[in-house]
Amino acid sequence: MATHAHTADPDAPAVYEQFEDIDQQQETYILGMWSFLVTEIMFFGALFLIYSIYRWQYQGDFYIFHKELDYVLGGINTTVLLASSFSVALAVHYAQLKKKRQQLLALGFTLLCAFGFLIIKAIEYGKKFEHSKFPNDTFVWDAAKYGGDPEHARLFFSLYFSMTGLHGLHVLIGILVIGYLMYLIAKDHPVITDYVPTELVGLYWHFVDLVWIFLYPLFYLIPK
Amino acid sequence: MASTPHAHHVTPIPVLLRTFFLLLGLMLLTIFAAQAPYWFPGMFGWMIPYWPLTNAIALAIAIAKAVLVISIFMGVKYTTNLVKLYAIGGFVWFLLLYVMLVDYVSRPWEPVRGWEAVPSSGLPRSKESDGGVPYPQFPAPKGKDGHEAGSH
Repeated sequence: MATHAHTADPDAPAVYEQFEDIDQQQETYILGMWSFLVTEIMFFGALFLIYSIYRWQYQGDFYIFHKELDYVLGGINTTVLLASSFSVALAVHYAQLKKKRQQLLALGFTLLCAFGFLIIKAIEYGKKFEHSKFPNDTFVWDAAKYGGDPEHARLFFSLYFSMTGLHGLHVLIGILVIGYLMYLIAKDHPVITDYVPTELVGLYWHFVDLVWIFLYPLFYLIPK
Repeated sequence: MASTPHAHHVTPIPVLLRTFFLLLGLMLLTIFAAQAPYWFPGMFGWMIPYWPLTNAIALAIAIAKAVLVISIFMGVKYTTNLVKLYAIGGFVWFLLLYVMLVDYVSRPWEPVRGWEAVPSSGLPRSKESDGGVPYPQFPAPKGKDGHEAGSH
């Protein structure tokens, strides 16, 4: 299974002089990606902390506001993202086995899921804009009808739009990165020497999925 | 280096498929756990007043899903110890961030002039009469027909 540079495998990627062997070189690439993901955890972590503080202060109100969100659409989006995560894992699997066609198909399915996610998200955002739930000066919360403090409602929808918006931005960046990776693989570009580029893009995409796994219950499934 | 597992462990497709279906199952479970008290009030209605319990269930399921994605899909289970250290370290940092909540919990314990807690919450607010600076207020939101919507 091991593809050391000093073995006879002609497809083995070059080992650069600062590395002991190919395993250490690949571990370094993966560790670099994880360092980036740790900064992403810090980035989203601050938002999750803000959410936790206000959810704790205004739990009752947040229950009222969360009914504006459609947990069925959110559930469909969760399914779409989980499927895309699975297909990226498949793409890495095929990249390791050097099956280019299957790898491209798996990445293509991931792209399709990513677009599907953004389309559903756009439908949800559209409904919020229609109902004046975007927290700018057009924001309206009918407290007499639904209850809850309008200022807390504004806070809830600010958190909703900033957290899902930042997540959506990551999905958009993921589409660009996966698309470019597919282009490089299809062109047999010299930077694609092994499975590592696919693995790194996969790690990023799984992280995007990971954020949504927490966003879904925190925004769409708030208990009374 | 001899004891280090190889970075390029090939995860078999059945393992990936099982993980995917497990994740889908957990997602359906989290929806059910959140909606069951409203769908079946006779059987699960007793859960409604215990929102911290419902919340804990939702978060436990989310953490289980996260562990599945990180260990199998991201392959942390099969990587070297150094990568594991980075991955775990990132999430430990995330938990440490929540130590900040100590401030919100402990502020009402020791009343300070100008930092009176709002009743029934840990949120402190200052009073102008005590020389404190009031919290900034949002302008009253305007309804579509120019009337003020809501009051507080």
